[in-house]
Amino acid sequence: MIQPDPLQKNLITNFLFLLFLTLFAVMVNYLNKEGNFGQTGYESFALGFLMLAAYSAAQLLKTVGIPVISGYIFSGIIAGPYITGFLDLEMVCKFSLIDDLALSFIAMTAGGALKIESLKKRSRAIFLNTLFQSIMVFLFVYTFVIFTGHYFQFIQNLTHPQIIAFAVLLGVIAIARSPSSTIAIINECRASGPFTDTILGVTIVMDVFIIIFFTIAMTAVQVILTESCAVDYLAFSILFCAIAISFLIGGLLGKFISFYIKSAGHDLALLLLFISFTVSKTCMAINPLMETHFNINFHLEPLLICMCAGFTVQNFNREGKLFLGTLDRISLPIYLLFFTLAGAALDIKALRMCWPLALCIAMVRVFGIFTATWLAGSLNKDPVKHKKNAWMTYITQAGVAIGLAQIAARQSREIGVYLSTIVLAVITINQIIGPITFKIALKVTGEAETE
Amino acid sequence: MKIIFAFLLIIFLAFSGYHLSFKKFKLPLFIRGFYLSGTEFLFLGFLLGPRLLNIIDNETVKALEPFTTFLLGWIGFLFGLQFEIKKLRRYPFEFLIGSILEGLITFIIVFAGSYFILTNINFLEDNLLLPAILMLSAAASCTAPTGLALSTTRLIKKHNNTVKLLQYISSIDGLIALFIFGLAFFCRTTFFFEAGPFYEIGKNALLYIGAGLGSVILFAILLSIRKNSPELILIAIGMVVFTGGTAKLLNFSPLLINFLAGFSLINLTRNEDRLFAVFVGIEKPVYLLLLIFLGVSWNFGTIWILFPAAAYCMLRFFGKILGGYVITRMNSEMKKYPPLLGIGLLCPGGLALAILLDFQKEFSDSNISLLAGMVLISVIYNDILSSNLLQRLFERDK
Repeated sequence: MIQPDPLQKNLITNFLFLLFLTLFAVMVNYLNKEGNFGQTGYESFALGFLMLAAYSAAQLLKTVGIPVISGYIFSGIIAGPYITGFLDLEMVCKFSLIDDLALSFIAMTAGGALKIESLKKRSRAIFLNTLFQSIMVFLFVYTFVIFTGHYFQFIQNLTHPQIIAFAVLLGVIAIARSPSSTIAIINECRASGPFTDTILGVTIVMDVFIIIFFTIAMTAVQVILTESCAVDYLAFSILFCAIAISFLIGGLLGKFISFYIKSAGHDLALLLLFISFTVSKTCMAINPLMETHFNINFHLEPLLICMCAGFTVQNFNREGKLFLGTLDRISLPIYLLFFTLAGAALDIKALRMCWPLALCIAMVRVFGIFTATWLAGSLNKDPVKHKKNAWMTYITQAGVAIGLAQIAARQSREIGVYLSTIVLAVITINQIIGPITFKIALKVTGEAETE
Repeated sequence: MKIIFAFLLIIFLAFSGYHLSFKKFKLPLFIRGFYLSGTEFLFLGFLLGPRLLNIIDNETVKALEPFTTFLLGWIGFLFGLQFEIKKLRRYPFEFLIGSILEGLITFIIVFAGSYFILTNINFLEDNLLLPAILMLSAAASCTAPTGLALSTTRLIKKHNNTVKLLQYISSIDGLIALFIFGLAFFCRTTFFFEAGPFYEIGKNALLYIGAGLGSVILFAILLSIRKNSPELILIAIGMVVFTGGTAKLLNFSPLLINFLAGFSLINLTRNEDRLFAVFVGIEKPVYLLLLIFLGVSWNFGTIWILFPAAAYCMLRFFGKILGGYVITRMNSEMKKYPPLLGIGLLCPGGLALAILLDFQKEFSDSNISLLAGMVLISVIYNDILSSNLLQRLFERDK
């Protein structure tokens, strides 16, 4: 008897499932409209449908080599408010609870994946990459916007100082990476090796530095737009204080997790989920509180806290393996929901509005990354294969960049709308292309586990 | 922000508490029974709810509705997964008939009693009367083996046969309760009374079966390929949320549809053991969250509620005693069990509470919440009584 090819079986099964699921959902929706049936279940219905459909679609796309997170993102885009409207904007906002939980959880995984020994070995490569990428990407994007900005209809109305401010902020935001995408793809490919360690290290170090760069940029923008020379030094001291406290809380949290594993150990997954959620929500509660009551911009960083907690458990205790294993076991639903909802939240309308400029900025950014990684690779004497492909792994951008754009838009209202629209459009492009190129790079360098 | 903190708080309480609740403390039997069933979480929910601290207010409860659907769906699905025909066949056929009979007798007695009382006191609106009576009798039919967990291993070994029967009945009689409860949803449209119950029952039953079957086909397709553990977790969550949402959209019970899906899957697919392990893995936190949600919406109303609660408890007690007596006199094989078997079946368990929560969510009315409050008090009465009465049963068991 001929055994069916597993790949073919997988393909057929997922295709059939997706087809039946869609038919079933359409039928339920039809019945719901026909009779006087309840509406309260729509959120659960939509969420369940999204989970199953995204999973199945990602499995289908996986068979042609596309990473599963791209599958989730595409599913989200299709189900989102701009294509089919299955999820409207209000519902996407309602599900932001899941987003916050997932982001902190992924940060904890990223911290847990960093090992001091491999960081030490790759410290030079990480330093060079971080340095060159910060300089090159900023310079390339900044110069491009300054010299060609007035050719694009989208920002034609801005004055010269506003264009400078716009270029500065866009340049800094272009440096931001997506630690969530990075860790998701590394996990999916089960990648390991010096190339992977460098990428992970650079992404995480960059995640810390971007906050500092952004604060510097915001101060510069204030100087440019108000034409005053006063630099707010207090803002810098508060920023460094917030980062230090975030690290401290993260370290303590890591110690607590280790203590829990040692002394109790059961239901670790639930505890980790609870911690992720608590950290993100407590930071969200504290940050505006400090602004309204004490008039200071004191922002505890939930991602830093969780990363640091993960790093502490992995490197300063013996429980690292169990910790990572637990995170791995429950990561699938979290990644799936996070990336699918991220896909649904991608602003296709913004992309439609300013796609020529967005596309150009995305390309310039990639060029900047390529130059930086090539330079860093050459100085570090990395293998040619690594030097040639490293740029492909740094394209993804998501939550951090969106968050920075939102802060910038709120604080510099003159350029705020333009900035957030263009950033969302660029992120849409990067998030569609980035995971695919990332996976290719891991495969080409031979650090991805063969399927 | 309040929603978020409320959510955090209840998750934390459930998480931290279940180890406290399900560990065997060396406390007096009376208090131990209280802890073992997790009843303290009802009070915690009540404390946090709008009637006391108002940390979890009505708005929060509403915002967390998808989560409630998930909890109900999870319980229903898990209950369905327990009905693996292959395993049920290992027990004598009399056990099955006896369990169904016991559930039916309790149902009939509580139904008749509740009908008599509620139709005479004009407490509920006409369209809520039948669903409420069905809910009361369905919740009364359920039994849980919680009391057995309190008994010593020596005692369990000594009365092995009776324990087996009690365990079997506890896991089967919920079936009757669930189907009866499903009927309550059929009466939700006003059309039910205009077109006649039989037409509406037929139409709704077809929709129920269609929705259940649709879900089963979907998941059977998905599970036809062997999945690893994280994938199974994902599919399990997706299944429960999707099926629960479908049920709510069609005005059905998420509990019942998920039960149907779980029952069909465990008997049709190859992943049964692994699927079961995924669901059982978080059974206890889910149960405690259920208690907290019930506590939050607990309407104690007036002190007089203790009396109808006692009456309801008595009706149920009578039903269980009669049910137990009838099945132990059914044939010679069953006569070896003590005739007062019913006193070992008093603990209502998680399914009865899930039925109550589902009912509260779908049929909102101030008098309904008072009725639900009454059932909760009777649950506490039963929790207090059940472990002591179980010991008595063992004493009488030769």
